[in-house]
Amino acid sequence: MVETVFESVVSTHHGEIFRYLRRLAWRATEADDLSQETFLRAYRAWPRLTPDANVRAWLFTIATNVYKNHVRSEKRRQAAHATVRATRTALDLDGPEEEAMAGEIRTLTQAAIRRLPLKQRLAFTMRKLHELDYDAIGASLECSPESARAHVFQALRKLRTTLNGHVQPLAESAR
Amino acid sequence: MSTRTTCAEIEPDLIAAATGEAGAAEAERVDAHVAGCPACRDDFARYHAIDATVGALRAMAPAAGDVEAARQRLIERLADLRSRVLGYRVFDSPLGPILIARSEHGVALVEYLGKRGVSGSRLFRLAGVEAHEDATGVDRFGRELMEYFEGRRTHLDWPLDLHAARSDFERAVLQATAAVPYGTVASYRGIAGELGKPSAVRAVAQALRHNPLPIVVPCHRIIGSSGDLVGYAGHRLGLKEHLLGVEGVATRHAGTPKVERRTLYHYEPNPSREYCLPTCGDIARRPIGRLFATREQAEAAGLVPCTSCHPELHPLPS
Repeated sequence: MVETVFESVVSTHHGEIFRYLRRLAWRATEADDLSQETFLRAYRAWPRLTPDANVRAWLFTIATNVYKNHVRSEKRRQAAHATVRATRTALDLDGPEEEAMAGEIRTLTQAAIRRLPLKQRLAFTMRKLHELDYDAIGASLECSPESARAHVFQALRKLRTTLNGHVQPLAESAR
Repeated sequence: MSTRTTCAEIEPDLIAAATGEAGAAEAERVDAHVAGCPACRDDFARYHAIDATVGALRAMAPAAGDVEAARQRLIERLADLRSRVLGYRVFDSPLGPILIARSEHGVALVEYLGKRGVSGSRLFRLAGVEAHEDATGVDRFGRELMEYFEGRRTHLDWPLDLHAARSDFERAVLQATAAVPYGTVASYRGIAGELGKPSAVRAVAQALRHNPLPIVVPCHRIIGSSGDLVGYAGHRLGLKEHLLGVEGVATRHAGTPKVERRTLYHYEPNPSREYCLPTCGDIARRPIGRLFATREQAEAAGLVPCTSCHPELHPLPS
């Protein structure tokens, strides 16, 4: 019976947890490994989860911990920076200029998100890309909802500084 | 002009308003400030642009094929893990702490922990098994076991996982033993005979010595054909006596502990399937077939009263 219920957890949440980890990780295969690890851990802990728990937030917490351990143990940052450089030089694509511009801004933004300090990056990704509430983010990061919000705002400040000159204010054309 | 918020003061509200995090009051303050501050208006626009780009990123999804492939691999690994995970809990009992572990197939281990504690459990020595404490999955079994100890339950109708048995023969012995009902005693020789291997008496005893599911696979109901209790859980014959006592099977100590045959109904295979009083001929001195604590148990096994000793007319004192 436990098994059937867990199957529905997988079918409901796997896609989103995979997307979350795909945003954090550098390669699709990494996201694959990390999402498997997340759900295998979840399966082991499932019998101890209280019936009224928020399963989605709980899975984000596990995924976040899995990712943090991954970062810690694998020392991937070095390799990560190399990938950013590769991504940026590979950017000169053909195509309509505007499309290319928008695409480049998205890529630069993604790269800037990836260079955020870990906690800011996790908080920002959960809040802005998965729209979790600050209670859930705080639980995932073992901090208060207020600190979670502060991490997100700090991340936005940093993105603005990094992207200055790349991201043109939308209002400018209207002025 | 002196009541106007400074740029530093408005900044958090400005970020919130530009990125959809602000309430009405914050938004109003920001509107009032940017109306008179071009620099902050420009900042607002930049944050807003970042928010729009992030919105576009939010809508971007990895290739559906990647997600589906990952999900398939996950389902395979879960199936593998599932077959190896045992959930367990330790229950207090009149016989000391007892650990019960279950797999997805059923109860896989019942263990008297004695003074060893959980860490000494054989659960952690089973190859390829992952053990996790399980708050709810084994509750029912613990509860029913307590009812059994209190004499309020005569059936433990549990799904069993016999994967821990070391051979098909052991598995067959455990299954034959599981079929011996409450308040009934059989012999190792009898079980060997039932399995079509009458000479495998020692092998039957060995298999029951390694019984991973004591109590629910009631090896305490299997004894030597002379009535000696023989062995249980290492050298803890006291446990065997206790369990037989719960089920109304009396024992006595005459050198070695024995069942008290004079207080039990006897059955030896016979064509008319009759059970007898222990005083019927020399039945109580011959090798044990089956013994029953009560007439009801004998008759539930499909037996009828003997037509010469008439146990129905002269029942044993209960």
